[in-house]
Amino acid sequence: MWRLIIRNTLARRGRLALTLLAVLLGVTFVTGSLVLTDTSQRLLDEQFRTATAGVDLTIREAVAFDSAMGVEVARDPLPAEIVDRIRAVPGVAAATPVVRGQGLLEAGGKTIVPSGPSLLASWEPAPVGPFTLRSGRAPAADGEVVVDVATARQHRIGLGAEVTVRAERTARLRVVGLAGFAQADGLPNSTVALVARPAAQRLLALGTDVSEVAVVAADGADVQRVRGAVSAALGSRYEVSSSRDIAASSAAAAKNQVSYLQVMLLALAAAALLVGAFLIANTFSIVVTHRTRELALLRAAGATGAQVMRSVLGEALFVGVLASVAGTGLGIAVASGLRRLAGSFGMTLPGGGLDVTARTLVVSLVVGVGVTVLSALGPARRAARVAPVEAMRRTAAEGVAGRSGWGRTMIRTGAGAVLTALGLAGLAIVLAGPGSVVVLGGAAVCAVVGLALLGPAVTPGMVRLLGRPLAVTGVPGRLARESAARAPRRTSATALALAFGLALISFTTVLGASIRESAARSYTEAVSADYVVESARNEMLGGLPEHAYHHVSELPQVAVASRIRYGHWKDGQTTEALTAVDPATLSRVTSLHMVAGRLDALSDNTADNTADNTAGGIVLAANVAKERNLTVGDSIAMTFSRTGTRRLKVVGLLRDRDAQALSTSYIVSLDTYQRNYKEHVDASVFVKVADGVSDAEARKAIDGALADSPTAQVRDQAAAVAGRTLMIDQVLGLVTVLLMLTVLIALMGITNTLALSIIERTREIGLLRAVGMTGAQLRWMIRGEAVLVAALAIVAGVALGVAFAAGTVAALGRTSEATLMLPAGQLLLVVAVAALAGLLAGLLPARRAARLDVLTAVAAS
Amino acid sequence: MTLTETLTGKSPRTAVAALARDVVKIYGRGDTAVRALDGATLSIPAGRFTAVMGPSGSGKSTLMHALAGLDTVDEGQVLIGDTDLAGLSERQRTLLRREHVGFVFQSFNLVPTLTAAENIELPLTLAGRRADQAWIDELVEMLGLADRLLHRPAELSGGQQQRAAVARALAARPRIVFADEPTGNLDSRAGEALLGFLRHAAHELGQTIVMVTHDATAAAYADRVVFLADGRVVGELPDPTVPEILSRMAGLGSSARSGKEK
Repeated sequence: MWRLIIRNTLARRGRLALTLLAVLLGVTFVTGSLVLTDTSQRLLDEQFRTATAGVDLTIREAVAFDSAMGVEVARDPLPAEIVDRIRAVPGVAAATPVVRGQGLLEAGGKTIVPSGPSLLASWEPAPVGPFTLRSGRAPAADGEVVVDVATARQHRIGLGAEVTVRAERTARLRVVGLAGFAQADGLPNSTVALVARPAAQRLLALGTDVSEVAVVAADGADVQRVRGAVSAALGSRYEVSSSRDIAASSAAAAKNQVSYLQVMLLALAAAALLVGAFLIANTFSIVVTHRTRELALLRAAGATGAQVMRSVLGEALFVGVLASVAGTGLGIAVASGLRRLAGSFGMTLPGGGLDVTARTLVVSLVVGVGVTVLSALGPARRAARVAPVEAMRRTAAEGVAGRSGWGRTMIRTGAGAVLTALGLAGLAIVLAGPGSVVVLGGAAVCAVVGLALLGPAVTPGMVRLLGRPLAVTGVPGRLARESAARAPRRTSATALALAFGLALISFTTVLGASIRESAARSYTEAVSADYVVESARNEMLGGLPEHAYHHVSELPQVAVASRIRYGHWKDGQTTEALTAVDPATLSRVTSLHMVAGRLDALSDNTADNTADNTAGGIVLAANVAKERNLTVGDSIAMTFSRTGTRRLKVVGLLRDRDAQALSTSYIVSLDTYQRNYKEHVDASVFVKVADGVSDAEARKAIDGALADSPTAQVRDQAAAVAGRTLMIDQVLGLVTVLLMLTVLIALMGITNTLALSIIERTREIGLLRAVGMTGAQLRWMIRGEAVLVAALAIVAGVALGVAFAAGTVAALGRTSEATLMLPAGQLLLVVAVAALAGLLAGLLPARRAARLDVLTAVAAS
Repeated sequence: MTLTETLTGKSPRTAVAALARDVVKIYGRGDTAVRALDGATLSIPAGRFTAVMGPSGSGKSTLMHALAGLDTVDEGQVLIGDTDLAGLSERQRTLLRREHVGFVFQSFNLVPTLTAAENIELPLTLAGRRADQAWIDELVEMLGLADRLLHRPAELSGGQQQRAAVARALAARPRIVFADEPTGNLDSRAGEALLGFLRHAAHELGQTIVMVTHDATAAAYADRVVFLADGRVVGELPDPTVPEILSRMAGLGSSARSGKEK
C-alpha cells in the first residue's frame, strides 16, 4: 500500500508541489514564531539570572507591585545606614550597596540612543556585579567609567576615550575599562556605563542613598532563614527578596512584550495555515476527480472504499510530513529574519543563539501534518464513494470537480445561507448600537463559515456579474468567465482563500486607520499648544528628563509650559494607566470640555476633596464613569505601587475624546502623582509661545534650552500626532507584511487550481486552438480567469474586512472615541496589488496551456 | 456546373484546394521511430467531397492533420491554396486555420460553456470578424438547428452537436473543411443526415470537404475515395459505391499483410 501511495505522490509531484509549498510556508511561519519567541524568552531569563547570579538576597524599598505593562516601577532609594544594619544580621556574609539608574551615553559628540535602556550603575566586583572586565581596569576615581564591549565596538570607543554621561547630572568621564556581561559583550539593545559608587550616586543625585543592597549569605546558612532574619531586622518598609525571584519577575516583565508578539505571530500563522488548508482541500479534490477512473479501476480490482480513502489520506500524510519537516527546518532558519523584521517595525528583541525546543518541533510537525490530512479528509471521503462502474462509464475526467448529491448541496447551501444571515444580523446589531465585540466575533465566524458553505451556490452569479467587463473584451474573456462559473465549488474555494487573506488585510487597514484618525483628531482638537516637547525614544512613560520642562518653562519666549506624566496603577488584577496634569496651566495649552465638575478642582487639596490624606481628586473620562457607575463626589479605589491602595475622589468628568487626547481615562494632578509615584520623567511638555514672539524665534529658543537633553524633541502639532500614531503604524505595518504571506499562499492556490483545471480542459483547449484561437488569446483567457477569481476574492474579502472593521469601530466607539475612517488610497492599493497578483498567478498556467500541443489536445479523445 | 458555381464564376474542378507532396512524418526516434507518413502525395480538388480511407495505422489521421496545418511534416511539401505551410510559424498556421480551414471532429466539437450559436460563430469571433448573418442563417436553416441556437452543447443530441460543428466549420466560408470520423459517434440515421448534408455542401455550395473515415457506407457519400496504407496513397476510386470500397479495403488489408511478410 505505502509503495503505491509514494509512487502515486511522486508521479503527481507537479500537481502537489504547490500544496507542499503552502503547507511548508505555514509551518515555517509557526516554527519561526515559536523559535523566535522561545529564544527571546530564554535570553531574557538568562540575562536576568546572570544579573543576580552571585547574589542570594536583594533588599529594596517595598512596593505593592513590581511592574506594570512590562515596565518595572521606580522605587525610592535606601538610606546608606541600612547596609550596616543588614551586615549585623547573623548569616549575612556580605552586604553590598548597589546604585543603578538611567544615564545616556554620548561619545564623539554623538548621543547614543539604544532602543532599550541606557544603564548607569555602580561598578561592583563579582560575585555581586554581573559584569566582567574584558580589558583595562575597574573605575576607581570620580572621572572614570567602564562601558560594555558591544557599545564600545559599535561606537568606536577605545580605552582612554572621553565620553559624556547624562543622568540627573552630566559629567565627562574617561573610559578605563571595557566589560562584558557573562559570555555576551553587553546587554541586548542597551548601553552600559559603570562608574565607582560615589560617582554613580553623584550622577544620579542620590546623595548617600543607594538603589538596593545585595546580600550574599554565609556558607552553609539557610537563605530562607537569613531572608526572614533580615526582613525582621528591617521592618515592612523594605522588601527582602530572593534574587532568583527578582530575576524571574524582572524577566516576566520583560517577556510580557514577547508574549504579545507570540500571540500575534501565531494568530497570523494560523491564518496562513487556514488559507493553506483551503488550497490543500482544493488540490486533493481536483486530483481525486482526475483520478476517478483510476480509483474506479482500483475498486473494480477489489479495493474497498476504506482502502481507497486510506490511499488518498496516505498521500496527504506523505505531503504533510514532507512539507512539515522542510517547513520546520526553514522556520528555524528564518527565525532570525523574523527578529529583524520585528525590529524594523519597532519591536526590539534580544539577539543570540536560537532555541529549538522539542515542543516547537512537535507543534510544527503536528500542525503541518494535521492541517494537511484534515484538509484532505473531504476529498478522501469522496474518493471512497467512487463506484467501480465509473471505470467504464466515464471517458475522461471532464466533469465538474466535487460533484455531490442534490440533497447534500441543498443542506450545504441552506446552512451557508442561515450562517451568513446570522453573521450579517450580528454585524447589523453591532452597527445599530447594542452589540459588543463578542457578538461581533461570533458574527465574523458565522459569516466566514457561512460564506464558505454558500460559496459554490453564489459563485456562478457573482462570477458572471464581475466578469461582465471581461466578457465584452471578446471570446477569450467570455470563455474565461464561463469556465470560472462552470466549476463553482473550485472557484469559490480558491477565491475564498484569497478573500480571507484580503479580508484580514482590509480589516487591519481600516481599523488601524480609524483608530489612528480618531487619535489624531481628538489630539488636534484638544491640544492647542504651539509646540510639544517629547522624548524621541518611544518609551511607555514618555521618558523626558525633568530638566527639559524646567529649562523650557523659564524661557522668556514661552508664555506657558505645561507638562503631563503617565503612571500605572492597579484596579484589582487589572493594570490601568493614568495621566497627571498641572491643573493651573493645562487649560492654557488645551481646550478640554468637562461633562461635569471642574478640572482645577484637582488641585483643591482641602480635607473635603480628599478621601484620605495622601490621595487627591481625580477626573474620569465620561464613559469610564458611566461604566463604573461613578459620578462627581464618589470615590474610586486605586492601588499604586509605592503607596498601596488609596481612594481618590471624583471631582470631574471629562469628554471622552479629550481624555483620549491625554492618553488615559484617569486624570490626576501632578501633586497627587508625586505623592504616589517615584517616577520623575515627563511624557509631554505643552508649550504656548509668548505674544509677539515668532514661531521660528520660539523654536530656536526651545531648541537651545533642550541642548542638554539630547533625547528631547520639539514637535509641532503634526509631528506630535505622528509621534503618537507611530506605534499604531508600526504594528499595522508588521501585521500587514505578515498577512501578505497568507495572500501569497492564496495566490499559489489560484495558480494551482488553474494549472490543474487546464489538465482537465485539455480537449477544450485543443478544440479552441484547432478552430483558430491563437496562443496569445489562449494565454489571455487563462489569465483572465485568474484575474476574475482574484476579483471575486477582492469583492468578498474587502467587503467582509471593511464591514467588520466598521462593526469593530462601532463597538469600540461605545467605550472610547472612535469614528470609522476608510483609507481609500490604502484600500485601492490592496485591491490593485491583489488584482495584479491574480494576473501573476495566471502567468504560469497560461504559459503551460499555450504550450499544450494542439494535436495531443485534439487527439486526447 | 451547379448554380452557385455559375454565379461565383469559380471553376472548382480545375482548382486545387490543398496539396501534399512526398510528405514524410516520423514519430519517435531511433529504434522506436515510426514513419507515420512515408512519401504520401495527395491533391484535394476544390469544390469536391473527398474521403480518405485506410486501415488503422495507415496514417490517414496524420495526413489530415498535416494538410490542415495542425501538425508540421518532416519532409515534403504541404500547400493550402497557394500557401506553403513549411515557412509558417505556429501563430501564422493558427491564423491560416482560422481563415481558411474548418474542422469537424468525431466528438467534443463544441465548447461546453458556449451556446450553439456562439459555437458556430466561434472562429469568426476569435478572428474579430463580423459574421455574415445571412450565410449563418442559411446554414442553420439547412442543418435544422434554428430552434436549438440558444442551447448549450449538453442540451443538444449527438446529431445536433455534430450538425452545429458542421455549421461552425462552414461559417467562415473556409477554403477547405476537414472532417475526422464525423459520424463515428452517431446512430445511423443521424449519420446519414450529416453525410447527406456534407455532400450537399460540396455539390450545391461548392465547399471543399475532406473526410477521414474507416466506414465504407460513409465514404460512399464522397465524390472520390483515396486509399492509404503504410503512410502512402495506394489508390483512389471516383464515384465510389459501398461494395467497390469494401473490396478495395479488403485488398488493402491483404497487401498490408503481404507487405509485412516481405
